[in-house]
Amino acid sequence: MSEYSGNEAVIMKNVCKDFKVLNRHEGLKGSIKDLFSRDYKTVSAVRDVTLTVNRGEIIGYLGPNGAGKSTTIKMMTGVLEPTSGELLVNGKVPYKNRTENCENIGVVFGQRSQLWWSLPLIESFKLLRDLYMVPEKDYEGMIELYRSLVDIEPILHKPVREMSLGQRTLSDILAAFLHNPAIVFLDEPTIGLDVSMKAKIRELILGLNKEKNTTVILTTHDMGDVDALCRRIVIIDKGTKIYDNDIEHLKNYFGSYRTLKLKRSDDTWEEYLIDEKTTDVMDVIMEKQKSMKIKDVKIDEISTEEVIKKIYEGSAK
Amino acid sequence: MHKRGLAFYARIYRKILIQDLKSKMSYRADFIISTFGMIMTNLSGFITFMILFHNFPTINGWDYYHMLFLYGFSLVALTPVQCFFDNNWNLRFMVQSGDFIKYCFRPVNVFFYFISEVFDVKGLGQLAFGIGTIVYAWIKIGIPVTVIIIAKLLVFLLTASLFMIALMNFAAATCFWIKGSGYVMVIMFRFKDFAKYPSSIFEGIFKIIFTFIIPIAFIAYYPSLVILEPSNVPLLSWISPLYGILFVYLSYRFWMLGVRKYDFTGS
Repeated sequence: MSEYSGNEAVIMKNVCKDFKVLNRHEGLKGSIKDLFSRDYKTVSAVRDVTLTVNRGEIIGYLGPNGAGKSTTIKMMTGVLEPTSGELLVNGKVPYKNRTENCENIGVVFGQRSQLWWSLPLIESFKLLRDLYMVPEKDYEGMIELYRSLVDIEPILHKPVREMSLGQRTLSDILAAFLHNPAIVFLDEPTIGLDVSMKAKIRELILGLNKEKNTTVILTTHDMGDVDALCRRIVIIDKGTKIYDNDIEHLKNYFGSYRTLKLKRSDDTWEEYLIDEKTTDVMDVIMEKQKSMKIKDVKIDEISTEEVIKKIYEGSAK
Repeated sequence: MHKRGLAFYARIYRKILIQDLKSKMSYRADFIISTFGMIMTNLSGFITFMILFHNFPTINGWDYYHMLFLYGFSLVALTPVQCFFDNNWNLRFMVQSGDFIKYCFRPVNVFFYFISEVFDVKGLGQLAFGIGTIVYAWIKIGIPVTVIIIAKLLVFLLTASLFMIALMNFAAATCFWIKGSGYVMVIMFRFKDFAKYPSSIFEGIFKIIFTFIIPIAFIAYYPSLVILEPSNVPLLSWISPLYGILFVYLSYRFWMLGVRKYDFTGS
């Protein structure tokens, strides 16, 4: 692994992760058999993934449920050891240097707070400052930065257990950046939040990324997050990387798609996804006009959500 | 990378403890009820003991006050596991729900970080009861009060608590491999009740099991012999501090092995 130049936050090279799962048998007889069984099957959660993430990037790491996203993150955070392949985080092998790796990363799992449940946020911050051995000056500077980016006063002296989900998520994100890590992993950071809180949190992440040049690896099912934060998207499915490019390229992934929206007489909208290479938009409108009354017409670019959906569906075939 | 030594961990633990106590006291009703519950639990245990042993003057040559001493000894010896290692009881829920992973994201020892999260105040009441019982029995038996004897008492109390800590670590860590680890913990915790009786009541195979395999005889019996029968201390009593340290170390390694082997599925 000589290609680490100092500018890569993460280097993955042909990384695979297999799990051994016991083949379970049915019925009582089967259960007894399982007790002594050595009959394992191997499940590949991540297959041959090669990926480089540069410092300061925000990447969207996407994939349907069970695609292997979490397993990848767990390997990057040093919790799981890759079955094969090479993995470097900040130039080090995470599994072999778990503690050292943890000093340079921050992790947020949406809906699973990592803060001390009964402590006011400021006390959690102080404990984290001590755990990560953050110099007092850097700590003060970070708190100042937080104040400039988001209104933290209302939550600073509130115990985590009394916070709303939005406040808790906000706190968890702030806590993850507190020791100024090189990389922050965000897993579903806006899940379950209202629109304004989502916007606030996205703004905060962008602000911190800009100020501290923190690499952010974001896994989410919310395409709003992706549109607001990520310039680059990596998609995996069934453990294999199926897309890795700029978000602009994504729109042309399947040709030039457009969304055609037709307003019916009862003021409801009907939507059609049209590939302009094979179908003419005007033809569709004319065709539809024969069977319904159209009050209004809109033609939109395809949304990220729809492209991603098509990619997931395409790989499922 | 920062070096984190014993001083670091002691400092962090103290800070977490202070914060935890502060927040516990801020929930006043909760604090009062649990304190009351703790007193009642200890009182009922104590009364049961009195009723039981007032009717049997001696068990295998142990009279009432010797038994009482053993009882107090085991109460005090159980305090550290109760106060400092209580989070072991939550381990299996954390592991099954996948929440356990959060303990792996900090640049500190996973076992320390997990265990430091909970300090159980209830153990302190037990400590007070235990000390009271020991002092009472001490006076009644008429053991001389010398610095040497008190030092011995402290060393062997510590030894006894090491065994209990190790047992609970072992029992809790089984959850990394098996689903029904709750039973293992309950059984282990019940075993501690045997610790209140002299191991001489166990015969043959049980004696071997409870001395070497599940060493509950070390929780009170062997260590307390040093104080109670100074003229007739078996070799096992003298080596028990070393055995205790080894046993705790092994239980820690077993616990950490579980963390390494566990594949953190279920997210």
